Amino acid sequence: MEALRAKVAQLLKEKAISGFLGLKLEHGHPSPFLFTGEEGLDLLVVSDTRFPLTKLLQRLTSKYPEEKFGVMVRGCDERSLIELHKDNQVNLEHLVTVGVACSQELAQRCGCKVPYPSQFEVGEPATGVEGGGELESIEGMAEDERFNFWMEQFGKCIKCYGCRNSCPLCYCSECTLEDSFLVPPGETPPKAPIFHLIRAFHTVGRCIDCGLCEEACPVGIPLRTIYKKLGQVVSELFGYSPGKEVEGRSPLSFLGEKPFKEQG
Amino acid sequence: MRVLAHARGSITKTVIQKGQNQFNPIIIGFLCTWCSYAGADQAGVSRREYPPNILPIRVMCSGRISPHHILKAFQMGADGVLVAGCHLGECHYIRGNYMTAKRIPVVKELLSFMGLSPQRLGLTWVSASEGDRFAAVVREFTEQIRELGPSPLRGVS
Ligand code: SF4
Ligand code: SF4
Ligand code: FES
Repeated sequence: MEALRAKVAQLLKEKAISGFLGLKLEHGHPSPFLFTGEEGLDLLVVSDTRFPLTKLLQRLTSKYPEEKFGVMVRGCDERSLIELHKDNQVNLEHLVTVGVACSQELAQRCGCKVPYPSQFEVGEPATGVEGGGELESIEGMAEDERFNFWMEQFGKCIKCYGCRNSCPLCYCSECTLEDSFLVPPGETPPKAPIFHLIRAFHTVGRCIDCGLCEEACPVGIPLRTIYKKLGQVVSELFGYSPGKEVEGRSPLSFLGEKPFKEQG
Repeated sequence: MRVLAHARGSITKTVIQKGQNQFNPIIIGFLCTWCSYAGADQAGVSRREYPPNILPIRVMCSGRISPHHILKAFQMGADGVLVAGCHLGECHYIRGNYMTAKRIPVVKELLSFMGLSPQRLGLTWVSASEGDRFAAVVREFTEQIRELGPSPLRGVS
């Protein structure tokens, strides 16, 4: 923690950044905060509480494109930054990241394969957690059983938009989930499965599997499992893993020079 | 979105074939105007027979068909959706159908994971001169959907 504070203090002092987006401990709760001066940095903390910091950063940088910001990044935050960069939503060259390796406990809770960013100032790298969670049991179901399972799950939705709001990669100013033709307003639960499938399709080739959506969902719909499944599909069909490398483009983000796969 | 409003109109008029007890599926066909729709026209002009279950919706390019359209069609109770475009390399907009070729397999996987048979979604390439092929594809696809039976989403909303 001290290492982080010292690093941020130095960056701010040298005016390498105009502000640092991290977590501030207030009334015992860590929450996102933009530190702009050296004072107050004693409240800058590292905690197992997660927020879509990079999503906030995207808002910030689009509002103040001239300023250079620093941001605390965990493994998943860094992966989301890479995808945001490819979508021209942030500019990695215009950012200073300060890495934090997650605790083993958090890695376990997140079911995280790579619980640390490429470089980090704080923490020790924890061992990655393998396995797809509920994925296998859902895949093992018979088709009609699976249909009923999802319809029941989606029937719980209270349309709070928490999944979208917590997603580091949902940055659109106009959201399809609010399109009145596809998702009629004033209906709860929203039409199933379309509401959830629209969102699912929007994660294709972009979802970095941080699990914030599922963590945010107040009714416990296993949303991440759907996006995880699509992640596997994208990896199998196109050999692309979101958030892994700055090079390469997400397969559905361009028309392409050649078709990937022909299907009849 | 107008195309879907159109689909809504057609889809409520269930296909009725008198004197037949077999299941008559509702199939939405998204056809690109330059090849597949022209192919359908060709089938008509050359008097090829195919089942009337398909409700064709003409779009400018198969790449214009968003997964949203497909999902909406299923949500509205379509038993099958057939997407048809120009053969690869022949798209009027050069590479529009490459996007189609990338998207559809992913949508299929998504449907399958949701417990909807991926066979309910078809992708095919039909050129403007392939009237015979269009008729054959539609016959085959309709048969396939007939065998699958009504979509579990029928009557959901
Ligand atoms: S998903 Fe991984 S990197 Fe992100 S908070 Fe959890 S353990 Fe850390
Ligand atoms: S977070 Fe859960 S309840 Fe809220 S909109 Fe998303 S799926 Fe529905
Ligand atoms: S114009 Fe026919 S697929 Fe693009």
